[in-house]
Amino acid sequence: MSDNTVTLIIDGHQVTVPKGTLIVDAAKQIENEIPVFCYHTKMDPVGMCRMCLVEVGTPAINRETRQPELDEAGKPVIRFFPKPMTACTTPVSEGMVVKVDSESALEKRKGILEFLLTSHPLDCPVCDKGGECPLQDLTIRHGPGNSRFDYEDKQRFPKRYPLGDLIVLDMERCIICTRCVRFQEEIAHDPALAVENRGRRAHIVSYTDPVFDSHYSGNTADVCPVGALTTRDFRFGARSWELTNAPSVCNHCGVGCNTVLSTRTGQIKRIMPRQNEAVNEVWICDKGRFGHHFNGSPNRLTTPLVRKDGELVEASWAEALDLVGQKFAAIKEAGGANALGGIAGARLSNEDLYLFQKLFRDVIGAHNIDHRVGLSATLEDETAYTVGVGCGTDLSRTGKGAAILVIGSDLDQEAPVLYLRVAGAAAKRGARLINAGGRQTKLDAQAQTSLRYRYGTATHLALGLLASVVEQKLVDEAGIEARATGFAELKKALQNYATAKVADVTGVDAEEINAAAKAFAEADNGIIIFGLEAGNDSALRAALEALALVTGHAGEADNGLIAVLPHANSRGAADMGVVPDRLPGYAPVDGEAGLSAQEMLAGESGLKGMLIAGVDPAAESEAYQAALEGLDFLVVQELFLTETAKLADVVLPVKGAAERDGTFTNLERRVQAFDIGVPAPGLAWADWLVLVAIAGRLGAEWLYASADGVMAEITQQVPLYAGMEFENLTAPVSLERKTSHYIYEGMSFTADAREGVQWPTLAENNAEGGPKLPLRFIEPAPVAGDEDGFTLVGSRFLYDGGRLLAESQVVESRIRQPQILLSKLDAQRLGVANGDEVTVSQNGVSVALPVKINRMVAEGTAVAPRNVAGRPVEKLVGPGGVYATVKVEKT
Amino acid sequence: MGNELLEKYVLFRHRDVEDIHKIDGYTANDGYTALKKALETMKPEDVTNVVKNAGLRGRGGAGFPAGVKWSFIPKDIFPKYIVVNADESEPGTFKDREIMTYNPHQLIEGIIMCAYAVGAETAYIYGRGEFRTLFLGRLQEAVDEAYAKGFLGKNILGSDFSMDLYLHLGAGAYICGEETALLNSLEGLMGQPRSRPPFPAVEGLYAKPTVINNVETLTNVPPIVANGADWYHQFGTERSPGTKIFSLSGRVNKPGNYELPLGTPIRYLIEECGGGVIDGKAVKGILPAGASSAIVGPEALDVTMDYEAMAAAGTMLGSASFIIMDETVDAVWAAEKNVKFFKHESCGKCSPCREGSFWLTSVYRKLREGRGSKKDVEMLETIINQMEGNCFCLLGEFTVPGVRTSLALFRDEYEALARNGDEMAQPDHNLVLAEQMLNSQSKV
Ligand SMILES: Cc1cc2nc3c(=O)[nH]c(=O)nc-3n(C[C@H](O)[C@H](O)[C@H](O)COP(=O)(O)O)c2cc1C
Ligand code: SF4
Ligand code: SF4
Ligand code: SF4
Ligand code: FES
Repeated sequence: MSDNTVTLIIDGHQVTVPKGTLIVDAAKQIENEIPVFCYHTKMDPVGMCRMCLVEVGTPAINRETRQPELDEAGKPVIRFFPKPMTACTTPVSEGMVVKVDSESALEKRKGILEFLLTSHPLDCPVCDKGGECPLQDLTIRHGPGNSRFDYEDKQRFPKRYPLGDLIVLDMERCIICTRCVRFQEEIAHDPALAVENRGRRAHIVSYTDPVFDSHYSGNTADVCPVGALTTRDFRFGARSWELTNAPSVCNHCGVGCNTVLSTRTGQIKRIMPRQNEAVNEVWICDKGRFGHHFNGSPNRLTTPLVRKDGELVEASWAEALDLVGQKFAAIKEAGGANALGGIAGARLSNEDLYLFQKLFRDVIGAHNIDHRVGLSATLEDETAYTVGVGCGTDLSRTGKGAAILVIGSDLDQEAPVLYLRVAGAAAKRGARLINAGGRQTKLDAQAQTSLRYRYGTATHLALGLLASVVEQKLVDEAGIEARATGFAELKKALQNYATAKVADVTGVDAEEINAAAKAFAEADNGIIIFGLEAGNDSALRAALEALALVTGHAGEADNGLIAVLPHANSRGAADMGVVPDRLPGYAPVDGEAGLSAQEMLAGESGLKGMLIAGVDPAAESEAYQAALEGLDFLVVQELFLTETAKLADVVLPVKGAAERDGTFTNLERRVQAFDIGVPAPGLAWADWLVLVAIAGRLGAEWLYASADGVMAEITQQVPLYAGMEFENLTAPVSLERKTSHYIYEGMSFTADAREGVQWPTLAENNAEGGPKLPLRFIEPAPVAGDEDGFTLVGSRFLYDGGRLLAESQVVESRIRQPQILLSKLDAQRLGVANGDEVTVSQNGVSVALPVKINRMVAEGTAVAPRNVAGRPVEKLVGPGGVYATVKVEKT
Repeated sequence: MGNELLEKYVLFRHRDVEDIHKIDGYTANDGYTALKKALETMKPEDVTNVVKNAGLRGRGGAGFPAGVKWSFIPKDIFPKYIVVNADESEPGTFKDREIMTYNPHQLIEGIIMCAYAVGAETAYIYGRGEFRTLFLGRLQEAVDEAYAKGFLGKNILGSDFSMDLYLHLGAGAYICGEETALLNSLEGLMGQPRSRPPFPAVEGLYAKPTVINNVETLTNVPPIVANGADWYHQFGTERSPGTKIFSLSGRVNKPGNYELPLGTPIRYLIEECGGGVIDGKAVKGILPAGASSAIVGPEALDVTMDYEAMAAAGTMLGSASFIIMDETVDAVWAAEKNVKFFKHESCGKCSPCREGSFWLTSVYRKLREGRGSKKDVEMLETIINQMEGNCFCLLGEFTVPGVRTSLALFRDEYEALARNGDEMAQPDHNLVLAEQMLNSQSKV
């Protein structure tokens, strides 16, 4: 018996668990599970459904001697509590005896079950939860076969009560366990649900505007232990036992949530979270859950198209590929390899991206490749390679003693499930959260410190924090010695960033800078999460990298940097070298770098032919469109006939992620495999296969027969990816990292839980004698003087106008329309109300936008969503820009 | 003047002294002298000790010793709060209202001393919504007067002790008398009980150490501090010392509040105070603690009204709201009324109380409408068995004893009703069910 464990006896089995464990969790070690309804391992126990009642006894203590009483056989006398106890609220204690399966305990639970069933409709035959419902299972196991309750007196409630556009409540089925309410409060931090009324009339309501306003609403249907909450798209869609469940990975953002595709007759019926404590625990966001309908869309491309007499007409694969081969060869012949270029979207898998760069570099002979368009245009994200969060980082455990610095990201919009984890680390587990940003975001509510800097000064703030760490003598000398070089030079450069001066430039209070620097440096573990809104410059990344190294928060689990990148595989695209200057694995290219996407799309690039896969630059700006129109030959690999595809000479239909296998690398560098869920429509091919075919037409002999075949080569060629064979990536998770009682947690399906594999950073390697990292200082761009006007910020929103979402009708009402968010005061000053139009202008460009008053927006700031219909804000801030000073007038 | 058993009232001093509800009337009759004594001559722990030694037990129902409760308040956590439970929602209880209406300053003085004893600087009186007129009128006036005279606010009576007292109204829910639900309600949350531990003494209002006491409990404090623990022990029994207000209602000639020493026999309350049963009928049953109590029959008339004797008689003293049923009262009707009360007041948090009280009501209605059978009577028993010991809080548990004792004492009345039901043709339950399922399915 160690100090931190407790040994007890449950139904005759001896069980040893950590101190503080609840009886319900301790019992998971033995076969006799304790049924629960209101308890969920991710939420605080409330003990209200009473389903988990057990008999509990503790060793009797003699009042006089204060020694345990012993019976004749010398065994401790156990005194049972007169009332049964709820196993979900009672922590274990040494020597405790618990009876789960005693006659009396069974009797108690049977009674509770009968109570829950008095008004429950038991309409299992038409209930979505049927087949994976704790209430149904327990009723079959313990419940009485007949109802003794008078049917006439059954409480009747509405059976189709919409809680917003995505969730429907069947009030009759609800057993008032409040898991949904508590999920929204404790985990999503969107208290959108509540219980109204009392007694038997209690029911769940939502009064937010829009109703059930949360990015996480779908999770409530999972955690609901009965069929009371159903999702609009799965409702009555299939019976759970008819579904085939394929493990997958969400392709909507860089978090890389593990999902399960539940399919039937070749269609995705629903997407649910698949447990991965290291990534998404048991949650996904609503974009991931509801944004899959593009897969079955009738607008999907189903056959290759070739331009004939100005029109795109259907063609066979052979015809289309032959044409691509001939044209590319001819262009290379006439203008050299550098007359060809390619852009691959960061939604492609690692296998696709690896072959994409291989096609250009090995077969064509050009480095003109890139994955960065739009906001990430100038991103050179090497920080993940140097000081990315250490392998084994697990935000589900981050708590007391840790500090998280978020800078320039609205996580709730950009990386929703990461938001849940960061918010949980702070609010539930006591991590110190510092949220630095140009505007208020939802995360501020959980942050102990909010640093509000002027747009354009994030780098100054980062340098200010760094200088303050040095000034306060909080540097990790030993860590710097072991890992880094150039500290003396850095210190010199930092002299210009004294706190007072930085405070002046950034507008952040000097004391707050010092306090934040101190809190971050002194924390046992420190993680820096930065987003594109902090500005897209290498000076910032150098400063943050140095901050991690100087404070000793690098090279270990739970320490380091996380870049919030825009797409599901932005990380993988950088890893696979789909950039003009680096090879797979970050080695610089030999000789001259190729053209970046910016340059390729600038016109006058000298390119004659391009291959564009899974990205739609023509939609981003008219200039890009003009550049693409100027090409002699454009080939596009796509799911849909996008704006770019419309300009193409050859359009090649490809499979969506659900229709093929492959791997994505998430923003914590975790490589995760996804399986095939449904067949592709028509003649679509996986992108990697298309690339193999093009390479073949250009004379290469590539012998890849499958995605894992490509990955096998990557493990050989890219040292970072050594060990990423599919069999490692798909290895099942060890039991202690997995919830055993799936059905009670809201996951009843049988798809594998996997953890994926992270690749190690340089900071981790240099602890083992690898090369040291130079501490870099890059002079930040000068800060523009105060100009009159509004600071207009082009922000990323979860439900933007992206094509994949546009094809998912369930979320239609949530998709952002062009608008400008203003503070109430500014709106009053401009004399406008919600819905009124304003003209926003800068340097002769002006756009008209309807106003929406938003309480999170500060005076003098205006926020407009990026990537929405017509891309108005991009016209003002530029496709790669974040903010601009603009004039706003009433139209 | 008091009554025959009390020379002078301890709590109901307004019955002896005119105008005591006004501050001048109160101070002219030794009001706030106990406070002065405490602030000038006693350390905070001395106040706690005298209350402990007096053996004052909580008057809200549980009878927990007040001084002991105060001593649980941790010294080193700030701020601390005093919350006065004026929810008074137990059917048949109306004593706190009389204190607050006619003798409010004695309560206020008690609150201030309690705050001084535990080191709290903020106190709230939480009243049921129906006390609106009282809380906005007379009680608020009394608080304002106390502020004006320097008994509340900064540096009370020139000492370094300062405190504020606020009045707060709930929306009218029995559950908000339960101390943790009260705290939730006071915080603006839904009025539902919290898990214990943590206990309010450690994590109460806003998760800070909090004393929760009943109005009557705190009204006892000034005389105890003024006269000492020994003086207090002259009233009542050894383990239930002091005087207590008994709210008498039901089939008696003179219902009302009666302040008597604890340990007085029930018979005295009914016959001497209440003027006996209406029309001289026989007592059929007594509910000593309102709807929550186990009913006792006429054989209990000589039981003494103190915590120990009442428990020994198989019931409880609770808030001492004696409801008297005489032989004209239909026992099943009375039990149904109780059950309906609990159904209406169940907060809905836990399933045994929420569903159990709902179900009991259904069965009672069936019986009373003559549709019930013997099986239904037995069902009542199984329902309460399924509730007992399994509820989240005592509200649900309080539903049980009334039904259980009613069934035990008046079984014949239940069975008479059930006979009617048995004689009626019973439709095949399953057939009805199937038919209705079919009908309702088309609406799903
Ligand atoms: C359902 C329920 C209702 C209660 N109602 C009241 C009430 O109206 N007034 C009251 O003082 N105590 C009431 N109580 C008791 C309180 O929870 C608490 O024990 C009391 O306020 C403590 O004060 P005391 O120690 O001075 O009695 C109630 C308890 C329960 C379980
Ligand atoms: S809707 Fe579901 S999760 Fe919410 S309270 Fe009802 S049963 Fe529980
Ligand atoms: S957080 Fe990102 S990866 Fe996770 S479900 Fe949402 S969109 Fe998909
Ligand atoms: S017993 Fe349960 S339902 Fe009843 S009042 Fe208490 S918590 Fe609410
Ligand atoms: S009371 Fe324990 S699971 Fe609900």
